[in-house]
Amino acid sequence: MSGPWVEKYRPQKLEDIVGQKQIVTRLEKYVGEESMPNLMFTGPAGVGKTTTALALVKSILGEYWRQNFLELNASDARGIETVRNNIKNFCRLKPVGAPFRIIFLDEVDNMTKDAQHALRREMEMYTKTASFILSCNYSSKIIDPIQSRCAIFRFAPIKGEEIAERLKFICETEGFDADEKGLETIVYFAEGDMRKAVNVLQAAASEGETIDENSVYEVVSKAKPQDIGNMINKALMGDFMGARTILRETMVLQGTSGEDMVTQIYQDVSKRVLDGKMDASIYMNLIEAIAECDFRIREGANPRIQLEALLTQFL
Amino acid sequence: MLWTDKYRPQSLEEVVGNKKEIKIIQEWVESWKSGNPQEPLLLVGPPGIGKTTLALIIAKEFSEYIELNASDKRSQDVIKSTIGESSSSRSLFGDEYKLIIFDEVDGIHGTNDRGGVKAIGEIIKNSHHPMILIANDFYSKRLASIKTKCTVLKMKKSRWNSISALLKKIAQNENVEADPKALKEIALKSQGDVRSAINTLQALSDKDDSLEIKDVENITTKDDRSTIINGVTAVLKSKTPSKVKKALIVEEEPTLVMEYITENIPREYKKPDEIKKAYENIAKADLYFGRAQSSRNYGYWRYATDFMGIGVSSSKHETYKKFTKITSPTIFTLMGRNRGKRNLRDKIAEKMSLKMHISNSIAISMFPYLEIMFKDDELAWEISDFLELEDDEIKRFRKKKIPKKVITKMEKQKAQMRVEERDRRAEELKNQMVNVVPDIRDDNVQEEVVEEFDDVVDEDIEEKEDNKKTDKQVSLFSF
Repeated sequence: MSGPWVEKYRPQKLEDIVGQKQIVTRLEKYVGEESMPNLMFTGPAGVGKTTTALALVKSILGEYWRQNFLELNASDARGIETVRNNIKNFCRLKPVGAPFRIIFLDEVDNMTKDAQHALRREMEMYTKTASFILSCNYSSKIIDPIQSRCAIFRFAPIKGEEIAERLKFICETEGFDADEKGLETIVYFAEGDMRKAVNVLQAAASEGETIDENSVYEVVSKAKPQDIGNMINKALMGDFMGARTILRETMVLQGTSGEDMVTQIYQDVSKRVLDGKMDASIYMNLIEAIAECDFRIREGANPRIQLEALLTQFL
Repeated sequence: MLWTDKYRPQSLEEVVGNKKEIKIIQEWVESWKSGNPQEPLLLVGPPGIGKTTLALIIAKEFSEYIELNASDKRSQDVIKSTIGESSSSRSLFGDEYKLIIFDEVDGIHGTNDRGGVKAIGEIIKNSHHPMILIANDFYSKRLASIKTKCTVLKMKKSRWNSISALLKKIAQNENVEADPKALKEIALKSQGDVRSAINTLQALSDKDDSLEIKDVENITTKDDRSTIINGVTAVLKSKTPSKVKKALIVEEEPTLVMEYITENIPREYKKPDEIKKAYENIAKADLYFGRAQSSRNYGYWRYATDFMGIGVSSSKHETYKKFTKITSPTIFTLMGRNRGKRNLRDKIAEKMSLKMHISNSIAISMFPYLEIMFKDDELAWEISDFLELEDDEIKRFRKKKIPKKVITKMEKQKAQMRVEERDRRAEELKNQMVNVVPDIRDDNVQEEVVEEFDDVVDEDIEEKEDNKKTDKQVSLFSF
């Protein structure tokens, strides 16, 4: 009993971290030396960047880690000024009961270039008292001066068997039955994202005593935006306005991100070609458009506009 | 030397037009000088009628002045560092006021100068100095919050006859033999813009020292900027590049113009390949707006403007002969209508991000799983308890309330678990004492205990407080 499993089963110590063995080994050296440079953790969602940062902080700062640790969301809507004020106030004080202080900044790649330059200045200003751990999905979106001030650690998607093993451990602890096929299905959908895997597992477990292929499929299909198929059908039939309305409502009301929309559209179209409902040549044209849309969204274009443009390709 | 500078009025009396407003300004200056602080002045009106000139004249009445205008990069930082400090601190000699002039306030770009408007608002609040703000568009959204804090003076365009009189004075001074008819023509065509009238006069007088009516006939009226609706109409209805390009010189944020065009493409264009091609252009425009913003190279805007303008307009085979009303972007109404829902969503995401070390967007991506989990009464209670969700937030994930019976049961269980936890800890502490007393320090045991504490801290800060108390009690009992 204690809420979401993603939090309950977050590894607390460096040695318990799933996957990322090489990274952990190097970080343990910092713990031994009681000092660390600025770090940058980069990699896709759910591979343990935050977990590793928290575990490292606890080991390296020791008993009083809480007092010497500041966690900030860099992409905070309130802007860089808030972030900087927080850093400033935190760094004014000397470390108490620990060798130094640590600031953890999440999603640094969502900061504007200007904000990143501002952050760089903060990093320089407090080198004596504090170390930074920055986390991001794409290190290419981080300005060079910041990258050159950090030791960069690249987190890879977690291997399937490692995810499966962790899921098994959770099931045993919680007293749930999960069959191999069920876990395999979760691993397939998770695509190396442990957070997603654990969320699917808990959702499936909440629906019944046993977790098998069917219950997992049910969760996965319930959890994805419902109207994607409908939206694509409308576009294929030439009703662009109808399709566009569904797209907008899904994004505004359900808050589905652009990247998730692209994935859903990709999966829907893939299924159509697998079921023989779509021509290979049409399919490949669409894939090209989807890939381009995906790339542009990650580059920083407006996801909704790009997706609306993608929809016209179905007409 | 530019005549606009050379003949810039040096005192309030020399200023053309707006006599009533000038009187208010004079009183405002007098009040400040007699040590009686006033609200900031907001001068609003079309370009070229002397707002900046007025501000500069007023500046002479004060010991010093600071000026910021649209060409400055107005991020919060710049504002705060250049005038933030001086606005709240005054020189030792109490009667020396610095005048702060903030030009083209409505020109603060939404995303570029994040927080710029807010910063001005703060400066207004904290300033002990006289302040003048200048803006073009009274109805600009960016002025909404500022307007309420200022004395607003709407500056009117100058009449053609007063402009003509001014031109005559300048011409005499410059030894230009000017035909009064020519001067009248310039004054009329300037549409109340004194600056452009003086500029025109200087441009035409450069060649020789006489000015006749035939010299003036060729000049066009001053560019009147098109409205957003005109711009969108031109893009959708015309196929002439020059017409489209001109119509898109609109005094609006370009991304807003893009939203307008985008909204109306499928309303005007009916053939799928036209819609497709038009949208390809929009997507490219959007791409360059994005690149402009992330690289801070706003030169890319010109490409974006061509994609959404000429690109979209040339995507149709022929112009449609029908009347389509230009619709404003429905995405904004959709977002507005659902503001409540989105606020609720963000409130929950905020709570999750604090408790679960995740960003708001990751939190929102977890909602679908939470919806499934919340079907289970007990799990719904557990998660709500963990995240400290309010009733309305729980309702986001399940329609039915969590049954009273379940709540009572779970609360009991939680209390029970706390008691057990406390007992366990008391036991541990006792063991620890036993270990310490004979001075057999076992590092492993020590470490383990410390980490156990960490775990507790992790779960709940409040709990930590509770435990501290109980720990004390326990130690009292053991000795």
